[in-house]
Amino acid sequence: MAAEALAFPQRPEPALLRSFILAALMHGVLVGILLVGVRFQSRPPLTVEVELWEQPPPPAPPQPEVKPEPPPPPPKAVEPEKPVVKPDIAVQKKPEPKPKPKPKAEPPKRDRDFEKRMREQLAMEQQAVQQQDAERRERELKALIAKREAAARASALATWTDRIRAKIRGNIILPRDVPGNPEAVFDVALLPTGEVLSVKQTRSSGNPAYDDAVYRAILKSTPLPKPDNPALFERRLELRFHPHD
Amino acid sequence: MNVTQDLDIITLILHASIVVKVVMLLLLLVSFMSWMFIFQKWFSIRRADRQTDDFEKEFWSGKDMSSLYQGAVNNRHSIGSMERIFEAGFREFSKLRSQKGTHQTEASDMVDGARRAMRATFQREMDFLERHLSFLASTGSVSPYVGLFGTVWGIMHAFRSLANVQQATLAQVAPGIAEALVATAIGLFAAIPAVVAYNRYSHDIDRLANRFESFMEEFSNILHRQAVR
Repeated sequence: MAAEALAFPQRPEPALLRSFILAALMHGVLVGILLVGVRFQSRPPLTVEVELWEQPPPPAPPQPEVKPEPPPPPPKAVEPEKPVVKPDIAVQKKPEPKPKPKPKAEPPKRDRDFEKRMREQLAMEQQAVQQQDAERRERELKALIAKREAAARASALATWTDRIRAKIRGNIILPRDVPGNPEAVFDVALLPTGEVLSVKQTRSSGNPAYDDAVYRAILKSTPLPKPDNPALFERRLELRFHPHD
Repeated sequence: MNVTQDLDIITLILHASIVVKVVMLLLLLVSFMSWMFIFQKWFSIRRADRQTDDFEKEFWSGKDMSSLYQGAVNNRHSIGSMERIFEAGFREFSKLRSQKGTHQTEASDMVDGARRAMRATFQREMDFLERHLSFLASTGSVSPYVGLFGTVWGIMHAFRSLANVQQATLAQVAPGIAEALVATAIGLFAAIPAVVAYNRYSHDIDRLANRFESFMEEFSNILHRQAVR
């Protein structure tokens, strides 16, 4: 440094401030480009989740749509009745209201009784209809909940059997040349610990080598995975196998 | 599993581990300095070019050499490299010539002395012109490695998070790797301009050096002619 200072007594690097500002500007531009460029990519794609359930859910989705609809019918159902009742009153009432203002005392009294009775009747009818409707709705709701529960249970069961199948499939030593994708069905009896008690073939795939391979694989993977929820456990399971899953 | 990771660059940088952050900061600093030197050198080389052009024009226009020398001495803070070389050579030459009466000095000795003085000034001028170029060179060659180090460290970090889970998914490592790769990106941002500028400037400075050397040769010839006369 000292030698340099001697060699160049007064020679500062030219345009120091200008270079500093330009460098700062350059980095500002760079950071700006980086921010904009990366934010463009960062918009995450809209993910759509689809849950595939195995059994009853298909009826379930339409059900909720049916459920909101029933409420409308009841009012309609009531209304048709009302018009039938009402006209009666209306017809009988209409002549009276006009005379009402003039002869005040006599006819209205009887009429009021009648009207009152009619109204009570109507209210009762309406109440009955509403009750029925509420009951129906409740029943539907219960059915829906039951269905949902059944569906959840079925799907949990399906995941459990899937896990079992996956474990067994890992142990299957595929014989060569299994033509097509035939299905072999086995009936497996389990202990709650997951141990296999017995294996029975209920349907052959038509390929004895494949049947044997699956049979051996089931026995080999004997502590089978337990279900996540112990309540789901079933002693007998029907397992279906395809050579080319 | 839906991916809620936002790949915003700021979040990436903020989530990086401390080593990666330090590496990125270092690289940013180096990049800033290298850009500063790039601009500085750009200005100084352009100025040296212009001054050399001006002086060559003035010199070969047949102006009297002592008046040129006077002009150079009078504003020696603003003259260019070639004029400095001329000044040093001419000063040495005139000194030697004024001693001619006392000692018998040969013409070739006078020219040799002037040439030595010019060479010394030439070396100094080259040193001035090449100042900071080595910084650009080392930035260009080293900063990708520094960035790579940050990336490797970040990836190691990202993979460590995989150790605790049974099912490894891409979503667990991807953000970490993206974070780590930012370090390499910054390293490259620093390195590429530095390399380009280094190559460009060293070429420019080589050309200037060639001009200075040929000027020195020609000027020695002129001095030799004057000494013999």
